[in-house]
Amino acid sequence: MRRLARVAVAAAALASSATAYAAEPIPEFRPHNIRPDVHTDEGGLWATSDEVEQQIKASSELDHDAQLTGYVREVACKVAFDYCNEIRVYVLDLPFFNAAMAPNGGMQVWSGLLLRVDNEAQLAFALGHETTHFVRNHSILAWRKAKARTSVAMVVSLVAGGAGASILGNLVYLGIAASLFSFTREEEADADRYGLQRAQEAGYDPAQGVNVFRSLQAEVAASDFDKVRKEDARTSIFDDHPNTAARLAAIQEEVKTLPEGGKLEKERYRAMIRPHLGDWLKDDLRRKDFGESLHLIDHLLEQGEDLGVLQFYKGEAYRLRRKNGDLELAQAAYALAIAQPDAPAAAWRQLADVEQSLGHADKAKTNFEAYLAKAPDADDRWLVEASLKKLSAGEHS
Amino acid sequence: MRSLLKIAAVCAATLSLAACATITSAPAGDYKVASDYTVTLGRQWSDMSAAIMGKPKKVRMLSIDGVFLNRLYLVDGLAPGEFIVKAASKDKPTPVYHSGMSPTELVEFVSDSTSALGYDRVETSHLRPASISGTDGIRFDVAAQTPEGLDIAGTGMVVERAGKLYVNLYLAPKEHYYDAYLPEVEKVFASARFS
Repeated sequence: MRRLARVAVAAAALASSATAYAAEPIPEFRPHNIRPDVHTDEGGLWATSDEVEQQIKASSELDHDAQLTGYVREVACKVAFDYCNEIRVYVLDLPFFNAAMAPNGGMQVWSGLLLRVDNEAQLAFALGHETTHFVRNHSILAWRKAKARTSVAMVVSLVAGGAGASILGNLVYLGIAASLFSFTREEEADADRYGLQRAQEAGYDPAQGVNVFRSLQAEVAASDFDKVRKEDARTSIFDDHPNTAARLAAIQEEVKTLPEGGKLEKERYRAMIRPHLGDWLKDDLRRKDFGESLHLIDHLLEQGEDLGVLQFYKGEAYRLRRKNGDLELAQAAYALAIAQPDAPAAAWRQLADVEQSLGHADKAKTNFEAYLAKAPDADDRWLVEASLKKLSAGEHS
Repeated sequence: MRSLLKIAAVCAATLSLAACATITSAPAGDYKVASDYTVTLGRQWSDMSAAIMGKPKKVRMLSIDGVFLNRLYLVDGLAPGEFIVKAASKDKPTPVYHSGMSPTELVEFVSDSTSALGYDRVETSHLRPASISGTDGIRFDVAAQTPEGLDIAGTGMVVERAGKLYVNLYLAPKEHYYDAYLPEVEKVFASARFS
């Protein structure tokens, strides 16, 4: 309820101040280190952003790997240039391609994005895009445009949403609050253009921005779901983005105007996300869009690294999908995984489970034993021992 | 300002009334999850089954202090293709029980269903043997977080019988509430029986 009251104050400030301050000019680039007065519409947006940022700090999705967050912040600073000290970075373990910039400088970067960009140059483009929203005052511009269109109803919906949030969950609240910060197509196009320029000025290859959208487009096309393929957009709390094809075309034109070449920092990037690959892929599989997950894993496999982990999760995708022939595909992927030095111990147990289901008792027995040798203190040791006992007694499943 | 708060208060009241209307008492004594699956409650619980999103017909949800402070799911035998959490839409599927699942897949089904209920960072541990009326199953512990970052503890149980899956799952905040009612929950789990 205290949160509701605080949001109501911010929303009321927004509602009451909008008319009075609508004519106040918005600079092309925001002045440095200025916090808007709380009685202005922009001040209201900041207050609401502060509230959301407090939620993020306590959120279960916040990734607490200081090294990873520090790295993402470092890249964000490179493209933010002299706005660096005004931006705060939060990495959230959410399995969708998304990042978001709040008007007060709070930047969210979702693990689904980190899992899908191939190198630091692609990350720099994405963060350059987000930084542009802050630097170019997109939030207040979008708010005033929306305000002119919609009246106070939007504010009321935020307050009502805040009331229901304790029942409906934090993400619903964040989603409603985020609707205050959604950008128009013009602002998204502006952020793409300046994001490329910022990445290029920071020394990165601007052409990598094109690759971000190409990968995204290919993954969406591989979705299991008609709705996802038709919408041509990822689940996002910001739903006003231009579609991927339109953005890709515009970026391709913009890249032609920029100097060619630049750094990629592929190895450095992969080293930074490597410790999280397993957890993030596990999260991705919980979305149950196996078409997209398998496309993503194949894309990561093409880079020729982390083959044990990636083949293991490819096997997991087939095992969980359960279409005809998937058990055999899972078996093949697990078998490739255990041939790699970075295969998780669970790969041997999963392979044995699949082999047991397929009636390959000897192979199953060998791999159950290998699993116990690799994970002698495993929580499920007694279950595996029971399976071994059954196999020895001639029972196959 | 005042009118905004008034609207918010009406919204909040409407939501809470809608929730209240569906709660019934589950008194101490036998509680029939289904015609052939029964547990014994050692005290009065509130039966909040009708408030579950999508009202999956084989899932019962009991609570003592409210669903945010403790909840006990009792799931009647799921047939292949059935679920604990109903999918909100076709493109957002939830975990489904299949025949031929391995023991670890049965635990994974409950763990993934817990995620689908809205909990984050769900992990299972301490897998151990269990049984209902002589049918072997698995007990396990659960750790999770609410989206707001509150630590949740839990314990669960799965038993497959005649091609159907029976699930018991208790979830509560780790601080105070989980331990406070764990002895009661252990008795409920131990009382589970097929008739």
